[in-house]
Amino acid sequence: MKNLLARYARWMDRISVFIGQGCSILFFACILISAAEVVLRYGFDRPSDWSTEMSMTLCASAWVLAVGYVTERNRHISITMLELVVGPKVWHWFRLFQMLISFGAVFVLTLALWKPAMKVLSRTEYSGTAFNSIQPTIFKTIIIVGCVIYLAQLLANIIRWCQKTEGDISVGH
Amino acid sequence: MGIEFITLLIVLSLLALMALGVPLGVTTLTVSLGTALLYFGERAGFFIVAANVGEVLHKYELIAVPFFVFMANVLERSGIAKTLFDSMAIMGGRFRGSVGVQTCIVAVVLAAMSGIMGGEIVMLGLIALPQMLRLGYDKKLSIGIICAAGALATLIPPSVVLIIYGLAAQVSITKLFAASAGPGVLLAALYIGYILLRVRLNPSMAPIYDIPETGLPFMQRLKFMKGVILPAILIGSVLGVIYSGIATVTEAAAIGAVGAVVIAGIRKELSWRMLRDSMRQTVLTVGSIIWLVLGAVSLIGIYNRIGGGEFLRGVLTGLDVAPIVVIIVMMLIVMVLGTFLEWIAILFITVPIFAPVVVALGYDPVWFGVLFAMNIQIYYLSPPFGPACFFLKSVAPKEIELQDIFLAVLPFIGLQAVGLLLVLFIPDLALWLPSMLN
Amino acid sequence: QTLNIQTSFNAGDFSTQFLTDKWLPKIEEMTDGRIKIVLTPNGSVVPARETPEAVAAGVLDGDFTSVNYFAGLEPAYAIMGDLISGYDTPEQMLGFCKDGGGEAMMQKAADSVTGGEVHVVACGPYSKESLPARVPINTFEDLAGKKIRSPEGLAAAVFKAAGASPVSIPFSEVYGALEKGIVDAADASAYVNNSTSGLHDVAPYPLYPGIHSMPSMQFTINEETWEKISPEDQKALHDWWYDAMFAMAKETARLDKELAERDEAGGKIHVINWAQADRDKMRDVARKQWEEYAKKSPLAQEALDANLKYMTEIGLFKE
Ligand code: NA
Ligand code: NA
Repeated sequence: MKNLLARYARWMDRISVFIGQGCSILFFACILISAAEVVLRYGFDRPSDWSTEMSMTLCASAWVLAVGYVTERNRHISITMLELVVGPKVWHWFRLFQMLISFGAVFVLTLALWKPAMKVLSRTEYSGTAFNSIQPTIFKTIIIVGCVIYLAQLLANIIRWCQKTEGDISVGH
Repeated sequence: MGIEFITLLIVLSLLALMALGVPLGVTTLTVSLGTALLYFGERAGFFIVAANVGEVLHKYELIAVPFFVFMANVLERSGIAKTLFDSMAIMGGRFRGSVGVQTCIVAVVLAAMSGIMGGEIVMLGLIALPQMLRLGYDKKLSIGIICAAGALATLIPPSVVLIIYGLAAQVSITKLFAASAGPGVLLAALYIGYILLRVRLNPSMAPIYDIPETGLPFMQRLKFMKGVILPAILIGSVLGVIYSGIATVTEAAAIGAVGAVVIAGIRKELSWRMLRDSMRQTVLTVGSIIWLVLGAVSLIGIYNRIGGGEFLRGVLTGLDVAPIVVIIVMMLIVMVLGTFLEWIAILFITVPIFAPVVVALGYDPVWFGVLFAMNIQIYYLSPPFGPACFFLKSVAPKEIELQDIFLAVLPFIGLQAVGLLLVLFIPDLALWLPSMLN
Repeated sequence: QTLNIQTSFNAGDFSTQFLTDKWLPKIEEMTDGRIKIVLTPNGSVVPARETPEAVAAGVLDGDFTSVNYFAGLEPAYAIMGDLISGYDTPEQMLGFCKDGGGEAMMQKAADSVTGGEVHVVACGPYSKESLPARVPINTFEDLAGKKIRSPEGLAAAVFKAAGASPVSIPFSEVYGALEKGIVDAADASAYVNNSTSGLHDVAPYPLYPGIHSMPSMQFTINEETWEKISPEDQKALHDWWYDAMFAMAKETARLDKELAERDEAGGKIHVINWAQADRDKMRDVARKQWEEYAKKSPLAQEALDANLKYMTEIGLFKE
C-alpha cells in the first residue's frame, strides 16, 4: 500500500510537470498571435476577428492547466511569518493543515463548477462575438480539469508529507 | 446576522487563514465558499462562486502579465539585464545610490508602457533585484524601491485603474490621465529623495561600485553607454508602438516579448534552452498569480450581494463633519479595504458611493480619481493583501520571505501617504495639467 | 418585499442615477410599499453573461439588463438584443416589445436557456447609441475601409457587409485605441455617456443620431418569486417598467440632443448626421445580415420574423 501511494505521488509529479511545461507552448502561441495581429492590422490593414479571443483562450487555458506544476513546485503564494514564531516542528503540522484546507476548498469549488460545466457540455455556449468561438464552453470545462489536477497533485503532496519524502518546500506551499 | 458582524467575521477568518500559512488564493476561496454556502444555501451559493471564478478567465487585461513576465525572463537570462545594470552603475560613477535612483527612473519609463500593475514589478524583480543585491545594495532598500516604483504603472498613464474609475464615476479619462502624470512623477521624486537621504545617513546601504571604470571622468564613462542602448531600443519601440497607435497596450507587451528574443539573438545569447527555461519560469509565475485573483474576485461578488456596499454607504453618510474630513475618511476607508481586498473590488464598492458625495461636496471628481489611484498605490504595498509584494515574491530569490518584503515596503507606504496628503491639500499638483489642456 | 435586481448599467451611469432618483421610489408608491427594488450595478454580483442563470438559481431576484450578453447562449438574443441598423427610435422598438409580441418572444428565449425558472416582465431599449469616430464618416460610402471596433457578432457582420473592417478589442482598450488611431470609430454608448467619459476628446466626429446599435434590455423576475406577487402588483411592475423606459428614452434623447447641439456650436466636435438615404442603404445591407444570422437557430428565425412583421406594420419596410 505504502509503495503504491509512493508510486502515485511519483507519477502525479511527472504528469503535473509535463502538463505545466507543456503550457509553455500555449503562452508562446499567445505571444505570436498577439504580435501577428499587430502586423496584420497595421502592416496589411487586415484586422482579424479571432486574435483577441484566441489569445485569451490560450492564455487562460495555460494558467489553469499549470496549477499542478505550481503545486508540485510549492509555488502558491502564502504568508509564512508564523514559521519563525512556532518553530519548524509545529510548522510541519501547519503544512498538513494548509494542504488539507486547500484540498477541501478546491474540492468544494469543483462541486460548484460541476453543474455549469455539465450544462455547457450538453448545450454549447458560444462567445456571441464576431468570431463566435466556443470560448465560454472551453473555459467552463477546462477550469474543472484544472481543479482536478490541483486536487490530484495536493493528494500527491500529502502522501509525500506522510511518507516524509517531500522535496524542497522552502518557497512556501 | 447583521452585515457589520459578517464583515468582521470575513476579515477575521481571512486574517486567521493567512496567518496559518494557507495559500492566499485558497484563503479567499475558502472564505467566499463558506460565506456563500451559509448565506445562500447550496444551489445559489455554488452558482455565485462558480460564475465569478469563471469570469476571471475572461479578463483580457490579465494576458499582458505573461507577456511582461516572459520578456523579463528573457532579458534576465540573456545577460542583457546584467550589462544594463553594469552600465548604469558605471554611468552613475562614484555617486552613492545612483543605481537605486536609476532604477526609479527606469520604473517611471516602464510605467508609461504598461497600464497594469504586476508585469513591471515582476520584470524589475527579475532584472533589477538580483543586480542591486549583486552590487551590494541593502536588501530591504532594494525590495522597497522595486515594489514602490514598480507599482507606478497604474498611476502614470496609461492606467487600467484610472480607466475603470473613469467609467465607474463618469469622469473624462483624458483628464484623469493628464491629472495623474504629475502625482506619479511626484511619488517617484519622493522615492528618489528618500533613497538619497538613506544612503547618505548610512553609506553601507549602497556601496560605490568599486571598479576602476567608475572613477573615470564622465566623458570617458560615456562609452559604457552601450549596455543601455539595446534595452533602450526595446523600451523605445514598445513605447513607440503604443504612442504612435500601432498597437494596444496589451499587444505592445507581446511585441516587447518578441523584441526581447530578437535582442538576445543579436547578442548571440539566444538558445532553445534559454527560451524554454524562460517560458517554464513564466508558467510558474503566472500560474501562482491566477489563483490569487480567482479567490479575490469570488469574494467580492458575495460581499456585494450580502449588502457590503450598502453598509459602507450607510457608515459614510452618517458622518457630520467638514467636507475635507469626509474626503479623508473616504481615503482611510479605501486604505483599510486595501489591506485585504482586490483593487477592482475596492473600486466597485467605494467609487459608486463616494463619487456622487465628492461632487455634492463641491470637489472635482478628477482630483478625487487621482487621490483614489494614489491610494491604490498604497493598497499594492500594504500587508497582508499587498499584490506588489506577492508579485515580487513570485520572482524573488528563495531566501527572501514574504514577511521580509512586507517590512521592506513600510517606509515606502509612508512616502506614498505623504504624496497622497500633498495632493489632498494642494489639488493643483494634479489639476494644473488638465486645466492647461482646456 | 425587496427585489434585488442586477442591471447592466455601471454605477455612475446617468441611467442608474435617473432610475434610482426618480423611478425606484415610484414602484414603492404604486404598490403601497409592498414592493421595493434595489438595483445593483453591472457585474457586481455575477458577471453580466450569467444573470439568467443567477435569476433561475435565486441568487438574484431579477435582472434589468442588455440581452446582447446572452447571444452566445441563444442566437435569438442577438436579434432581440440589438437589431443592428433596424429601428430608428427606441420608442418604435419599445412598441414592438409591449404590443408587437416582443415580450412573448423574449420569454421563449429565456425558457430555452433556463427551463422556465425566469419570468420576463417586460423588454425594450431606451437609447440609440451614437458612434464616436476620429475621422469624418459622412456617408454610407465613407464606411468603406474604416476600422470600426465592434465586438458583437451581428454588428461586425453588418459593418463588414457595409465595407468596413470590424476590429474586436475589449472595451477597456477603446479609449486608447481611438486616441491612437488603432481604430477609426468604436461602438460605445449613448452620446451623453460618450461625452462624459471623454471619448469625444479623442474621437471628434461622432455619428449622431447613431447608425447602428440600439441595445434592448429585459426586465425579468425569478418565476417562483413572480408567482408569489399579487396580480395587481404584477401589473404595477409591468407598467412601471415601461413608464420608466419611455421616460428614460425621452430624457436620454433630450440630453443627447442638447449636448450634440452644444458641441456642434463649440466648434471642436463635429457632429455628423447621416442623410435618410444613407440610413436606408445601411438598413437594406443590414437586413441581409439579419437574415443570415437568423439561420443560426429556429428561435432566432422566429425572433427576426416577428421583428420584420412589426417593422413592416409601422412602415420601416415596404411589403
Ligand atoms: Na502606466
Ligand atoms: Na494591500
